[in-house]
Amino acid sequence: MKKYVEDLNFQGEEYIGEWTPWSPQDIRRKKCLLEAARLMVDSAFTAPFAGGVPSLEAHIVYGQEELEAIARKIEEIAHTNESWKEPFLYEAVMVRDSDVIIFLGNTRCHETPLDAGCGMCGGTLDCGYFYDKKTHKYGLVDITDRSSDKMIDGPLCSARVGDLGYAVGSALWTAATLMVDARPFASVGMAGQKLGYCPKSGMVVGVPVAAKAKNPFVDVNVDYHLINMDKVLDNTRKIYQTTRIIRGFDYRKWIPKPQKTDGED
Amino acid sequence: MGHLIGKEYCLEHLIEVAKSIVLAIHKAPQITGKTKIEAEIIWGEDILPIIEVMGPVAKVMRYVQWDYETIKNCYDKGESPVIILIGGKIASSNLNWNCGACGFSTCKEFNAYSKENKGGGQLGGPSCNWKVLDWAMACDWACASAWQYRVDNRIMGSVGFATNALGFMPNMDAQLGLALGPPRDMVYYNREEMHKSMSYELDKQDMVSCVPNMFTCFPGGGKPMYKTKDDWWAPPEFMGVGYSEQVMEAYQQVLFEQVPEMVVKHADKIAERYKNKNK
Repeated sequence: MKKYVEDLNFQGEEYIGEWTPWSPQDIRRKKCLLEAARLMVDSAFTAPFAGGVPSLEAHIVYGQEELEAIARKIEEIAHTNESWKEPFLYEAVMVRDSDVIIFLGNTRCHETPLDAGCGMCGGTLDCGYFYDKKTHKYGLVDITDRSSDKMIDGPLCSARVGDLGYAVGSALWTAATLMVDARPFASVGMAGQKLGYCPKSGMVVGVPVAAKAKNPFVDVNVDYHLINMDKVLDNTRKIYQTTRIIRGFDYRKWIPKPQKTDGED
Repeated sequence: MGHLIGKEYCLEHLIEVAKSIVLAIHKAPQITGKTKIEAEIIWGEDILPIIEVMGPVAKVMRYVQWDYETIKNCYDKGESPVIILIGGKIASSNLNWNCGACGFSTCKEFNAYSKENKGGGQLGGPSCNWKVLDWAMACDWACASAWQYRVDNRIMGSVGFATNALGFMPNMDAQLGLALGPPRDMVYYNREEMHKSMSYELDKQDMVSCVPNMFTCFPGGGKPMYKTKDDWWAPPEFMGVGYSEQVMEAYQQVLFEQVPEMVVKHADKIAERYKNKNK
């Protein structure tokens, strides 16, 4: 049997900071946050589920390229629906500003419903509303045709969707307990699902998580997709360089000084 | 200065804890930011109508029986649980997302369907699934909050069915009940209140009925035997599939006769409370 070999070399230092983005100190900060995100996912798996049935899957995603891909997919989706356009574009900015994204999906809501006749999906006393709109044989839903002209291939078992809500709620509760910032987003979930995260799920919710001085998910300004920290910084780079060019002096020989006012020596 | 003895003050304090939990319900994050959530707290004699409606349903639905008997036994012992009702306005969509999750192409079509079919299910429905998520998150925060206070609790569809039938929260489309306390360990898990309510034979028969694949014999013959007793081969038994008039009759009787009887008994009184509140 392989024995656990204890590493007693307990020495070191870790410099952690938020600035500059993607610097070693910033990446260390993100790694701390990743631990919190993993605990959030554990909490999601312990949430109360109807009948105690396991139906949750999760993906934790991080890295500059990965977050950029999610943000771009959200922007793509945003332009397909006028109601989504503005909020989803704002949320794409939040994704770029977050550290880790958690995807939580329900693997049963589209294929193996609760079958309890609760009526939540269609307001009937049985599960007929769900099955009548699905391809199935004797109650076994055939999900092999995954083509759909809708963002989500409904109907879904609303009891299972409720289970997903409980999972997301528990993840967010742990985030609040650990005092890291997190918000649930439909846009992030839809984008993640289209990108193949939580591949067995019928519905996915995305939860960006961050540990920064300013919570990236609240207090946004109008036109946030145009006016945000990344854009402001890039604009500074654009303007400031040119501002230097349109003046000039050889600082070794002369530096402009404020003009003396009357009474000054 | 003071000296608190016994359990009485703990039971009283449950109501204060419930109020704090309601704060968490309203603080719960939402995806849409547009789902109306309401919460109410019920305790003491006011939970009796709920128990009465759950009674007949318990006869045909095992999970309701477990909730019913647990709450009733606690109440009868003078240790009334406190119930938090959590309602969600989820039967229509004001999102215009047209995402398809409900089974319709547009929110407009869903809303038209919902208007015609609203409230037909045991727990409400039809539902916008994004709003279901918001409502479920509020329910989850209620449970999580209760655990933070170390109060035994369980979120119950059975209670939601009863309160819905009785006309509680008339403005909400769906509701669930969070039973809180009494203050001891394992009220709603392991269910000490249910000790000796189920014989060994019934327990075993339940497993045979509910987990049949565990008891299946060699399936090569096309119609496998089921091991329902120690000498399962003498004589062998086979599981039959068929319509059960007995089960359906009991179900119909409960849903369309016994529950409405309880509702008629209590509903006017409950409706009066909401009327008075709106005055």
